[in-house]
Amino acid sequence: MSSSREGAGGADGSADGPKSRGLRIFSHFGLPKTPGHQIKGDIHPAIIKLGLQFSEFKICGANARCIATLTAFKTVIQDYVTPPHNTLSRHLMTHLSPQITHLVNARPMSVTMGNAIRQLKLEISDSDIDLPEQDAKDELCQKIDNYIRDRIIIADEVIEDLAVKKIKEGDVVLTYARSSLVEKILLRAHSQNKHFSVIVIDSRPLLEGKTLLHSLTSTIPPIPCTYALLPALPSLITDADVVLLGAHSLHANGSVYSRAGTAMVAMLAKEHSVPVMLCCETYKFSETVMLDGFGKNELAPVKFSPGAPKSNSNLEVLNPLYDSTPASCITAVVTEVGLIPPTSISSIPLALGRTTL
Amino acid sequence: MASDPQSAANQRIVEDLVSRLRRRQVVGSRATALETLLVLRQVISKARFSNIDQLTDVIRSVGRRLVEAQPKEHSVGNTVRKVLHHIREEYHTASGPPAVESSFSIAKFVLQGQPRRQTVIPKSEARVPLKENDPDDPDSFARVLKPVLMEAIQDVFDELETVYDNIAKNAKDHIHSDEIILTLGMSKTVQSFLKSAAHYRNYTVIVAETAPSFGGREMAKSLSSAGISTFLVPDSSIYALMSRVNKVILGAHAILANGGMFATSGSLLAATAARSYSTPVVVCAGQFKLTPLWNLYHEYGALDFGDPSAVLGFEEGDLVDKVDVVNPYYDYVRPELLDVFITNYGDHPPSSIYRLLKETYDDEDNEL
Amino acid sequence: MTRRVVILNTDIDAVVCSIERSQTLPADLEMADLEIYASYQRLLENEDLSTPLAAILALTEMMERSNAGTMFELLNELKGGAEALSRQSSNPIGLNAGCELFIEFITLFPHDAATFSDLKTELIQQGRQYAEQALTYRTKIAELAFDFIKDDSVILTHSYSRVVLQTLLMAHKRKRISVFVTEARPRGMGIKTAEKLTAVGIPCTVVLDSAVAYAIEKVDFVLMGSEAVVESGGLVNAVGSNQIAIIAKAANKPFYALAESYKFHRMFPLSQYDLPSHNPRLLSFPQSLNSTRRSSFGRRASESASTPIKITQEDIAQNNPDVDYTRPDLISLVFSDVGSLTPEGVSQYLVGMFAG
Repeated sequence: MSSSREGAGGADGSADGPKSRGLRIFSHFGLPKTPGHQIKGDIHPAIIKLGLQFSEFKICGANARCIATLTAFKTVIQDYVTPPHNTLSRHLMTHLSPQITHLVNARPMSVTMGNAIRQLKLEISDSDIDLPEQDAKDELCQKIDNYIRDRIIIADEVIEDLAVKKIKEGDVVLTYARSSLVEKILLRAHSQNKHFSVIVIDSRPLLEGKTLLHSLTSTIPPIPCTYALLPALPSLITDADVVLLGAHSLHANGSVYSRAGTAMVAMLAKEHSVPVMLCCETYKFSETVMLDGFGKNELAPVKFSPGAPKSNSNLEVLNPLYDSTPASCITAVVTEVGLIPPTSISSIPLALGRTTL
Repeated sequence: MASDPQSAANQRIVEDLVSRLRRRQVVGSRATALETLLVLRQVISKARFSNIDQLTDVIRSVGRRLVEAQPKEHSVGNTVRKVLHHIREEYHTASGPPAVESSFSIAKFVLQGQPRRQTVIPKSEARVPLKENDPDDPDSFARVLKPVLMEAIQDVFDELETVYDNIAKNAKDHIHSDEIILTLGMSKTVQSFLKSAAHYRNYTVIVAETAPSFGGREMAKSLSSAGISTFLVPDSSIYALMSRVNKVILGAHAILANGGMFATSGSLLAATAARSYSTPVVVCAGQFKLTPLWNLYHEYGALDFGDPSAVLGFEEGDLVDKVDVVNPYYDYVRPELLDVFITNYGDHPPSSIYRLLKETYDDEDNEL
Repeated sequence: MTRRVVILNTDIDAVVCSIERSQTLPADLEMADLEIYASYQRLLENEDLSTPLAAILALTEMMERSNAGTMFELLNELKGGAEALSRQSSNPIGLNAGCELFIEFITLFPHDAATFSDLKTELIQQGRQYAEQALTYRTKIAELAFDFIKDDSVILTHSYSRVVLQTLLMAHKRKRISVFVTEARPRGMGIKTAEKLTAVGIPCTVVLDSAVAYAIEKVDFVLMGSEAVVESGGLVNAVGSNQIAIIAKAANKPFYALAESYKFHRMFPLSQYDLPSHNPRLLSFPQSLNSTRRSSFGRRASESASTPIKITQEDIAQNNPDVDYTRPDLISLVFSDVGSLTPEGVSQYLVGMFAG
């Protein structure tokens, strides 16, 4: 969820007086606070370290952040000691809350983290009161491991299997920025000795595509790759046979919240009749409805725009990190329960045998 | 043909521009148009000709050489065509109405369907009789016609010089208070348009950086220094912000006969995103960018590729030889994505570009 | 005046006209009707002549035979001849275009010859000259369209069109192309195109009319011939063209129409059923079963349903249209000997031509 700080528009503070209307309407985006901010309360060192890594963008990507958060929480749980006259199932959550707030202050929480934490809260409140403390803690850590294993690691493997079948020999696969899942799919297809080539489209501010390039070209033999920035997309889309995209989260109306620029890739692919496959684990689903990329977004810190002019009272540099792709541009969503059309995500809980996501 | 000393001087001027064009020392539509005009002025003033065909042949051969030197700079060819058009116009007004067509065939009748040329007020008030191919005085034709031609060329010059002002003068009618405008890259035409509107209206501009040339940064700096509240965003967020944008204003490199255009890379993304939100797309371009060619967009190379190291530099060492890098300079934008062209001679929808072309250039010059 | 109901057998050689008249026409005019139609048929036997050109030549032949003494009489005769041709053809669009062009031309021709017969000779001369010249238009169009054909293009075309054929043959000499041709039932003219293309070595495949949507993703663009280009900028061509245009639009593929300038026609059809070739019999439901039921009222039920229903290809062909109308928003460009035109440009062109 985006942080709702008002008036924190300028990177150099709000000492420039009242801003024009234009600059005001973007103020709900909010900028991440610079690291080294005040630590309120008793925060576990693992969480402090994680907070720093988040705000420095050292850990990037929905899956990575979620796994890192859960791993840090395991440490916190193990180090936790139930105060006397309290039960684990009731107090642990209040103990974790300030930790979570600290992380959110470092960088707005991703949907994946939100879903995982919600699941964790459920597990904590369900934990047996009669269990001895260490056993309860171990059980919780086991549940966290299971969650990571089932809903991320194994889900990824199932998705890889499904997606790899759609990549045919000689295909040209186009992808945008770097999705950990798409990377795994491409490497798996390559390991099955399929011959295909990849077009990597990249864009500022994060230029994550270069990392993907490194990993794709480090295989033996290297996968033939083409690299271009987003404005070059129209001249390359005609060569593509399939587009593989990753997502940050998938919403109830089928719209995809993903790295800024994904929407344009999907839109152009649809125009040229190139099928768009979105690869997304079910734990990324959110029951909210997202209308456009404006209501909820996050800005990257200014340090990601080297060479950009300095902000002043008339000029502001914005680096929105996400955008929302409408469901109509996506051909298929690949999840661990199979390939589904983007508008059918409400049928997923049924498929998973659950009442909620 | 022009006699030898003249043609040698001509050669030098033309070759100079040819080599500068080839080496891309002259870039940009307006700059190349101005240079071409200077060369043509020199060529005409020094040329010797005794009838209209000789003159047009000279100009066409010069034009052909210049266009071959740099085929991607369409304004070179456009300027040559414009000059030829003016020459023929002046010639027709100076030499009086043509003799009645003795052969009136069905084919000619069918060709009447061509859009009519506008009648132009003749420049030469006094109709000095024009003698072509006069054996006694071979220069009489040239002598009479040259001053008139020089005036016509001066008109084209003036048009080029004032193109920004003319386009910008109605800017306040196109931009309203509190609007949010999206633009990208660096275009002097758009810049002067937006600055002119800023004198009358308060509005906001979002500028997309347009990697890898990053022309957008320059544009943002210049607009903000003129007091316009500006946002600089990377290209990836064009779609994300489009829902709040009221208008998209783009510049053009060349306008094609079907109403489409070549514009800086990234324009197609912005226009497509705008189409999905039904946001109007406005193009500001001088009329010298009108090109009477149709099928340019079929040539893959028409996009004019730039230096790949701007995209993936040599600091990425080991990637460089394993990866193909594509860096096109221009995009072709279809006429269906554009709503209006604002030129120095008025506003036109893409469907009437074809008619405008017929009025501005002569058909026989389409292939120089 | 005559009212006309045209039911024409698709086999052109057997001309069967059934004309209802409220007044009888004088015998010699009836003869003239048949004469002009006969000369029109004869001219059409020349493979190279398209219907508008054949119409123009038929009118010039009529002028030769004519005894008119003044311009007014001559024009009346010509108009009558044009009407006669139009009446006797099931698909008069092409020849209407040609007749209109010729008559308009004659009306505007400067009448300053020495004698009337000189003028007549001059006009006949013009007609013949134009027809000759017009045969070169296909080459001009082929050259224009050639610029749009990239190397290794896959082209889709429909039925049999001489101008498309010429374009493809010319393109084949300088670039590599491969062609899908639709079968174009019921006449199957597409097969003729495919045979001619394969004979010169162009890779060519016949596609079912119903498989166009299946094949469209493999195609780079569509090239279509035309019977007429109408005032709205739309196209009138062999039935199936509209379908292909709609599919091409849905798949985002360019749709190019090739049309010589004499096919430009000032008609403005509002819908498929507004075409002159449309008649109520087309796509109608058969009445025969009901009428036999009524007349066999007295018979026993078992006898009346004894003969099995058999529908022949002939029946299908008679009940189905020959031409259809394609809307201008589905057409990307029209290539003509007067240049490449957008569909909007066509209407501006027609106004310029006929209003001048």
